[in-house]
Amino acid sequence: MDFTVFAQQIANGLVNGMAYVLIATGLTLVFGVLRIVNFAHGEFYMLGAYITYFVGTLFGLDYIAAAAISAVVVAGLGVAANKLIFWPLRRDHEFTILLSSLGLALLIANGGELLFGADPKYVESPFADEVLEIGTVTLTQQRVLVFAAAVVALVAVYLFIRYSRFGKMMRATAQNPDGAALTGINIGLVHTYTFALACGLAALSGALVGPTVMIFPTIGNWAVLKGFIVVIMGGLGSVTGALFAGLLLGVIESLGGGYISLGFMEAIGYAMIIAVLLWRPNGLFSTARGLR
Amino acid sequence: MNTTSHGHSLGQPLAIAGGIAALAVLPFLAGNAYLEHLLVLWMLYALLALSLNIVIGYLGELTFGHAAFVGVGAYTSAILSTQLGLPPLLGLPLAGLVAAGFGLVIGYAALRVVGPQFAILTLGFGAILFTITNHWVDLTRGPMGITDIPPMAIGPLAFDSARPTYYLVLALVLATAWLCHALVGSRTGRAFLAVRENAPLAASLGINVFHTKLLGFVAATAIAGIGGAIYAHYIRVITPDIMGVHNVAALIIVVIIGGRGTILGPILGALVYIGLLESLRVAGPLRMVIFAALLTGTVVFLPGGLISLWQRWRNAHKSENNLPATPTGLPSTEGGAK
Repeated sequence: MDFTVFAQQIANGLVNGMAYVLIATGLTLVFGVLRIVNFAHGEFYMLGAYITYFVGTLFGLDYIAAAAISAVVVAGLGVAANKLIFWPLRRDHEFTILLSSLGLALLIANGGELLFGADPKYVESPFADEVLEIGTVTLTQQRVLVFAAAVVALVAVYLFIRYSRFGKMMRATAQNPDGAALTGINIGLVHTYTFALACGLAALSGALVGPTVMIFPTIGNWAVLKGFIVVIMGGLGSVTGALFAGLLLGVIESLGGGYISLGFMEAIGYAMIIAVLLWRPNGLFSTARGLR
Repeated sequence: MNTTSHGHSLGQPLAIAGGIAALAVLPFLAGNAYLEHLLVLWMLYALLALSLNIVIGYLGELTFGHAAFVGVGAYTSAILSTQLGLPPLLGLPLAGLVAAGFGLVIGYAALRVVGPQFAILTLGFGAILFTITNHWVDLTRGPMGITDIPPMAIGPLAFDSARPTYYLVLALVLATAWLCHALVGSRTGRAFLAVRENAPLAASLGINVFHTKLLGFVAATAIAGIGGAIYAHYIRVITPDIMGVHNVAALIIVVIIGGRGTILGPILGALVYIGLLESLRVAGPLRMVIFAALLTGTVVFLPGGLISLWQRWRNAHKSENNLPATPTGLPSTEGGAK
């Protein structure tokens, strides 16, 4: 029946969209709080998938533990990237920061190719082959896990930003870094936490999506492009915008791929942002300074 | 020392003439076909980098979509010559026109935002063009690419080997360099720099910021398209990879390492890029790691690029001779964007 196909496309789109939201949330946090456009964000997604793979195959740990370890390790790498590049450059022009993050992205992607090899790898997960039927919709358990874990992570991030002490420090920094510093907020610590959170989310996304696709060292390009499109469409710095735009992009790509052409699926998604931006140049949920 | 200000004004045209003469005899010094091929690649990258430099250096906006316009030009001329049998000489201006058309539409949409948003949008547009090229198999033959592209020819003179192609591209590089020089001295060029330095102030002086940026962007994409077409007719095989992220990064690396906002910078950057690319061929994937480190290092430690070393040396040299250390020519009017 036609409706079954339609519902299946929507479900697939929502799952893909949720993965985009996870990637985009980190990007938009780093921009919203620290005013940094991190071109290397996708590489942390790539590292998340690869570390899950290596922890799983080399140490024989199960998938869930491997994913958790990978998120923690990549969060640490994000903090290191901040310490080495973004923190020292914080007073520089955005041009400098954007270019050095591009340099970092190329460094990690090509370093990854050197270390991991260019051949595709497959992340093992016990959920990848099990199927779950919800009404007329059929999804693998892994894809349900992508959606569910993403929802849990996003709710946790929301609560963290809204109610925790560090969340409040992050929001204060987003509104006015100098004012925040004057009230005694340690901006260096906010930098560290924001990068840890953002890169951890990217790694989590990579670890979750990894088992549903082949992974290779250049997937960071893909991830950062999707993340940017979602962030631009939602409005740079807007977490709510990233949520809606990510799900929207996922569903539209899925419907476009199903009903129009699979090959042009991605181009349809990009065409969508152009339509949105001609209408609202700063994105659907554009904000003045601050984190929404 | 006899470097009075009068001598200097005479010295500059002499230096330029000397440089052009040196470039003109280079293929005869190269001695073998491989080095001549590298010279062509150098000039091609110099041409593309000069065009990218209009956007990055003069307009002060970072574009991640430039390789896509190179690809549009390359595919336009390649398709016209292989499928319609059009002579490549006609394809060349058409490639520039089509790329400029794409530049007009994309610039019109993307230049509504500035800074990081613009950079990301151009990345998205580049990705769209790449995806379409990769999947529209009927027109572009998809990932297989277009092969057997005929070489460029002007009447009986065929550009089917490295040496004639080198002179063709050299002529275009010199023309583009002259164009950039004339631009910077002109009213339009000063508007470019005013927009780069302070867009709201430029707007308050009556400069239409959007139109100024669009003009620069379209000019850059037209030159990129022509460069792409020459590449296609020289290499004679093109695949969608020409539009890929790899090429985007390469062009940005050339402009930044050489020195953005200058004319000699992109040419020097292209020499360094091609030189390192070939001499490190054995290093494989490590090459891009080295380039990435060079890019980050240049951005952080030498924002003006390699060319700024020469300017620094010249200024230091002048003050030694008790001459006023005026920021002659390059730094004052074309100095790299801060």
